[in-house]
Amino acid sequence: MLRFVGRRALYAVPLILVVIILMFSMLHLIPGDPVQALVGDYPVPPAYRQAIEEKYRLNDPFLVQVSNYLINVAKGDFGFSYQNQRAVLDLILERAPRTILLASVSFALAIPLGMAIGVAAGTTRSAGTDKFWTTTTLIVYAVPTFWLGQLLVMFFALHLGWLPTQGIGPMVSRAQGFAWLLEKLRYLALPVLAFGIHEGMRVARIMRASVIDTISQGYIITARAKGLTRGQIIRRHVLRNSSLPLVTIAGYAFGSALGGAVFLETVFTWPGLGLLLVDSIRLRDNMMVIGVVIFSALAVVAMNLIVDLLYAALDPRIRTVR
Amino acid sequence: MSDSKATAPAVAGKGIVPGSWQAHFANIVGTRHGALGAGILLVLVVMAITAPLIAPYPPLEQTPVSLAPPSWPFPFGTDNTGRDLFSLILYGSQSSLLVGLGAALAALLVGGTLGILAGYFQGPVEAVLMRLIELFQTLPVIILVLCAVALFGSNFWLLIAAVALAIWPMEARLVYGQYIKLREREFIAAARVADLSTAHIMFREILPNAIQPIIVQVALDASIAILIEAGLGFLGLSDPSRVSWGRLLFVAQDYMDSAWWMSLFPGAAICITVVGLNLFADGLNEIIDPRSTSGMGGLQ
Repeated sequence: MLRFVGRRALYAVPLILVVIILMFSMLHLIPGDPVQALVGDYPVPPAYRQAIEEKYRLNDPFLVQVSNYLINVAKGDFGFSYQNQRAVLDLILERAPRTILLASVSFALAIPLGMAIGVAAGTTRSAGTDKFWTTTTLIVYAVPTFWLGQLLVMFFALHLGWLPTQGIGPMVSRAQGFAWLLEKLRYLALPVLAFGIHEGMRVARIMRASVIDTISQGYIITARAKGLTRGQIIRRHVLRNSSLPLVTIAGYAFGSALGGAVFLETVFTWPGLGLLLVDSIRLRDNMMVIGVVIFSALAVVAMNLIVDLLYAALDPRIRTVR
Repeated sequence: MSDSKATAPAVAGKGIVPGSWQAHFANIVGTRHGALGAGILLVLVVMAITAPLIAPYPPLEQTPVSLAPPSWPFPFGTDNTGRDLFSLILYGSQSSLLVGLGAALAALLVGGTLGILAGYFQGPVEAVLMRLIELFQTLPVIILVLCAVALFGSNFWLLIAAVALAIWPMEARLVYGQYIKLREREFIAAARVADLSTAHIMFREILPNAIQPIIVQVALDASIAILIEAGLGFLGLSDPSRVSWGRLLFVAQDYMDSAWWMSLFPGAAICITVVGLNLFADGLNEIIDPRSTSGMGGLQ
């Protein structure tokens, strides 16, 4: 088991290295002055220009520049965002927990929702019920999260006035304890609803296919022959065995959500990593862009690793293969 | 979808040669999903082509009434600068369809070629392709496209290339899988014994047998491409010189409290297009494998 873990982890290292190298190389593809490309659309004072040239060894051969950049990153130095007047890593670490919060709560909604729909559609005897759910999930999944977000804001926040339209909290908050939690939840509600519904549809579609596959297996017939009730079969056999593919897909989706729920954070002005990325692109703050992209690659790779481990824990057959 | 409806008989008795493209088409339209999807796509194509003829206003003309709610002269209302939303949506279909078609075909060309080479020859080509696909899948599609936009700007044609760059691995993986599977079959061994050329085996023997799932994937790729383009528009990062549904939503974001129609109609247009492509793909998929469930690849 430990060897399996170690091998998977080792495998991830070159992948991350290549992403970092590629991102740094891309800076050189931007036409014009490399210092300007690093700083963005701001005037660069000569002293600062010299400091940057020295730090990134811009006058040295390309390979030296890349290895120098890698060493910096390894030390946790992702550069400095001139626009924000902050270290890139600082800002990423400040924003990341908010995105993690949003993604976690959304998936806590999406997974039970999707599993319920998937099991209902996959186990039903009525073709009509199945058809209803497959069509519904197909249509709802086609709704882009940014539009769903706008619709939710227009209805629940602007028309009914129940919930705030954007942000993560009021400018000034004196609420404490339980009231504080309630206040937070009011701001979380709409983004989570939009994200949860969207991801829930994805989960439902995978779950349905997986349930149908499981039901056709021999052990289900055995279970039925043993005289188990329908509910018992679904709970004990179908649910457990159909959840395996879900772990992979949901894990990957969660990983990419950590890398920035770009659209959702933009609709709701939720100051997480996604909004940071979009704002940095608009301001041409390339050092920040590279930082967020590297971070999101790390998130995806880490999530994939966790999925591999979960998989190995859930399905003993996998540990021996490869 | 597990529609138990028989799929083949649509062809029977109409004097259509089985296996011909007419037969394929009749099959797709023969399923209810496929027919609906094909219908939606047809309407969209007609909309895009005839937009200059049927749109009541040129796309950039500003009428004196801004933020007018839907009414007879402006069926979908007007936006903040007084442009007719109905006309804008007609013109917007051009951008969406161009991006969908362009990016999906480019992805097919790149991914398909690499997939064929890797699947057929295996060895080092296969190893390199697999590593490349893994590398691409380390980053979410939207982040890849955003990177490209950040570096090279948001020119419309560059954008199509960027989207294609982000989605080709899906196509490559599928084509590769098909070729790996088919090259071991007896009829290919027979073709080798018959001393047919490699190119002949690759394109005349294997390709026709692999083509159906590939077409399904192209339709799904197109729907993903359209969603990405809409997303970039929504972030305000699409080509500002082109009318795009996503960009209309970007503007609508500032008028959500006063003009719901600015958000409702462009968003609905995006959804209908994506659903149309997916229904079409589903219908096609049903014919290939009646048990299967298709779905959009993950976007967000």
